[in-house]
Amino acid sequence: MKAETSTMNAEFPDILREIPLLEGSVTSGSLDDQVLGVTDRKPPRRWFVAMAFTSTLMLLGFGFIGYTIYTGIGVWGNNSPVFWAFDIINFVFWVGIGHAGTLISAILFIFRMRWRNAIARFAEAMTIFAVMCAGIFPLIHVGRPWLAFWLFPYPNQRAVWPNFRSPLLWDVFAVSTYFAVSAMFWYLGLLPDIASMRDRTANKWRKLIYTVISLGWHGSARHWQHFEKAYLLLAGLATGLVLSVHSVVSFDFATSVVPGWHMTIFPPYFVAGAIFAGFAMVVLVLVVVRESMQLKNLITLRHLEVMNKVILGMSCLMGYSYAMEGFTAWYSQNVYLHHTFLNIIGGHYGWAGWLTISCNIFIPQLLWFKKCRTSYFWMILVAVAVTVGMWFERFVIIVISLHQDYLPSAWRLYHPTLVDFGILLGSFGLFFTLVLLFARVLPVIATSEVKGSLPGSQPRPGGEHA
Amino acid sequence: MRDFAVLGLFDSADALMAAIPKVKEKQLGRLETYTPYPIHGMDEALELRRSPLGGMVLGMGILGALTALGFQYWISAVDYPIVTGGKAPGSWEAFVPIMFEIMVAFATFTAGLGMLLLLNKLPFFGHPILTAKAMLGITRDRFALAIEADPELDTEAAKAALNAVGALDIEVLTRPEQGPFLSADFILRTTSGIFIACLVAGLAMYGAVKLMPVLSPVSHMLNQPRVNAQQASSFFADGRAMRMPVQGTVARGYLPFGVASPEAAAALVNPLPRTPEVLAMGRQAFTVRCAVCHGPAANGVGSLGSAYGAKPANLQAPQFLAYPDGKILWAIVNGKNAMPSQAADLTEEQRWAVVHYVRALQRAQNAKDEDIP
Repeated sequence: MKAETSTMNAEFPDILREIPLLEGSVTSGSLDDQVLGVTDRKPPRRWFVAMAFTSTLMLLGFGFIGYTIYTGIGVWGNNSPVFWAFDIINFVFWVGIGHAGTLISAILFIFRMRWRNAIARFAEAMTIFAVMCAGIFPLIHVGRPWLAFWLFPYPNQRAVWPNFRSPLLWDVFAVSTYFAVSAMFWYLGLLPDIASMRDRTANKWRKLIYTVISLGWHGSARHWQHFEKAYLLLAGLATGLVLSVHSVVSFDFATSVVPGWHMTIFPPYFVAGAIFAGFAMVVLVLVVVRESMQLKNLITLRHLEVMNKVILGMSCLMGYSYAMEGFTAWYSQNVYLHHTFLNIIGGHYGWAGWLTISCNIFIPQLLWFKKCRTSYFWMILVAVAVTVGMWFERFVIIVISLHQDYLPSAWRLYHPTLVDFGILLGSFGLFFTLVLLFARVLPVIATSEVKGSLPGSQPRPGGEHA
Repeated sequence: MRDFAVLGLFDSADALMAAIPKVKEKQLGRLETYTPYPIHGMDEALELRRSPLGGMVLGMGILGALTALGFQYWISAVDYPIVTGGKAPGSWEAFVPIMFEIMVAFATFTAGLGMLLLLNKLPFFGHPILTAKAMLGITRDRFALAIEADPELDTEAAKAALNAVGALDIEVLTRPEQGPFLSADFILRTTSGIFIACLVAGLAMYGAVKLMPVLSPVSHMLNQPRVNAQQASSFFADGRAMRMPVQGTVARGYLPFGVASPEAAAALVNPLPRTPEVLAMGRQAFTVRCAVCHGPAANGVGSLGSAYGAKPANLQAPQFLAYPDGKILWAIVNGKNAMPSQAADLTEEQRWAVVHYVRALQRAQNAKDEDIP
């Protein structure tokens, strides 16, 4: 492959030559055998072990959710004045995780970053699963989830409409649109790959299922033409959407008057944090996937290194945002805001503030070293730290701001209950169960995209087709 | 059975692209390629028209934004105006986030479903290429160039042309036997499909409606842990949920009527003053308890009179004009002839108020000149 690349680009100086995206000799055929062949084989023992673990967590979480719905949300620790707690923290956390997938699949697509091809599919799937996890929380937070359809504006016998000036309603629209668009983007990208699986499988039932869900895709030039156009348009739309969704989530906070929430920096700060947390989760999952599914030649260390560079960049942005928040608080000359920010570094929950700052700002600085960017130990350490740190960042924003605001007589500490933790763990169980299922039944790498970017896969430039 | 297309297989995009102009020169039919991934420059080589998707998405996106603006404006300013945060009901700035989301949703579904359903005519499982042997390679690593009937295909010439450009393998696809689109079979299947779907949905709805009220989370607080009147209860020794008053006590307003006969009652004096409040109370009680039989003017012409066997007393009759207050009270408490007792439904105060009111009615019906102010 190296030889092929050099003959292809013989006229270019070395520095302009593209570093190969994949390692070893990868052809269209070998790619199919490697990626699509996974579904033909029986899952290994460790897959079942992992599945048993995550699905147990998931069922545990469902049990706690059922208990919450049956009994009422009084079983949570939420109480005056901390009416938003684990439920909204988890919601913002999971929506944020989802953002990395759309960033990788849409924004990097528009910028023609071809290294994204190998990891885009997995990241998109993680987006969908993360948004599913996120969607659970506002739903159970409403208390009577069987009436959650009241959130949508539909003509009803009560003759009332929702308030379109409420950011919470904007959130309903933003998150539902985000889920629908991500699912559409993901499914369209999967079509050619499902068609490949349809044509290579010998199993009758699997062939039937793949035939139906590939919708009769047959790769004609006219279809590809519209497909590519649609994919480009979807990428453009998803780019705008991904920036809007976490901005709208941040409006839930920023448009209120609670000290610590009422900040103009919130939308970009939330979007940066979302991408940050999402990339950490993608790195975490990709390390496991490339090791356990023998995809080291397709998801290379170079992919992980680039991802780690993005994490480092986002960490610096987060540091800037934290500093700006502090500056705004100081510059506001507002005693309530001063109090809230002193609470972050020195109050009862000061430990959470420092945990956030350490995990999100200090630990990721390790990634300045190439050794850390390419070593499993260090990148996993950073990714776990970022995941923990970003969860606690939302804890800081929500609980610290709420537990002491304008009225000292209403100050009160927040104590989460067992049910809170159970549902949080359950959402992780749901997420990883879906990831594990996805890894076994659908292609984890967008083979048609990778095929199109293999060396020699496109006709040589220049008029002479020899 | 007619031939639909002749398919030539190549093993690289280069070979495919080189073959296209040479085959095109021969003008044997419509050219189409089938490839595992999109090939740069294919649109130009096959002279495809530009995809109209961009314009469709732009149009639908704008429509989505305007729809969201109109919908929110109509709801917030016209149908259900509500002032939030001191903003005018029609201030449009707050509508922007949802306008954006709906614009993206419209545009996305246009791009995705428009591409699939309108432009690519998918899902469609009847395309001849899907049953070709070559399909196994096409979605893997082979590139097919097809000369398709337009409308008639010279199969031999097409084979020769593909041979000449070095196709590795050549396959002839036959046109599938296609019935008309709305075949009887199709209509039958669609109708039975809809019928079965309705049946399943109906049964599911019936089950949900039957079962859901039983599940306490959906009971809307109807199921409360308390005992109702006349219910049994194992808590008390007598097995009843309701309690008797304590021995020797009397509830407020329920003093026993300690008068033995109407004659004894005649001596009673109405303890209530004749104030507008008392008369209003009397009128209210009279209207509810008495007027249906005795009539609103107490003249014995009530709405129930004709339907009821007994003839209610005309309280405007001379004998009743001279009747003592106490005897009227006696009749209210104990009943008279066919009239039942009203004691359970009127408090002591209300009974005397009714007496006052009956007196007022009698005076109103027999007014003298000096009553006119």
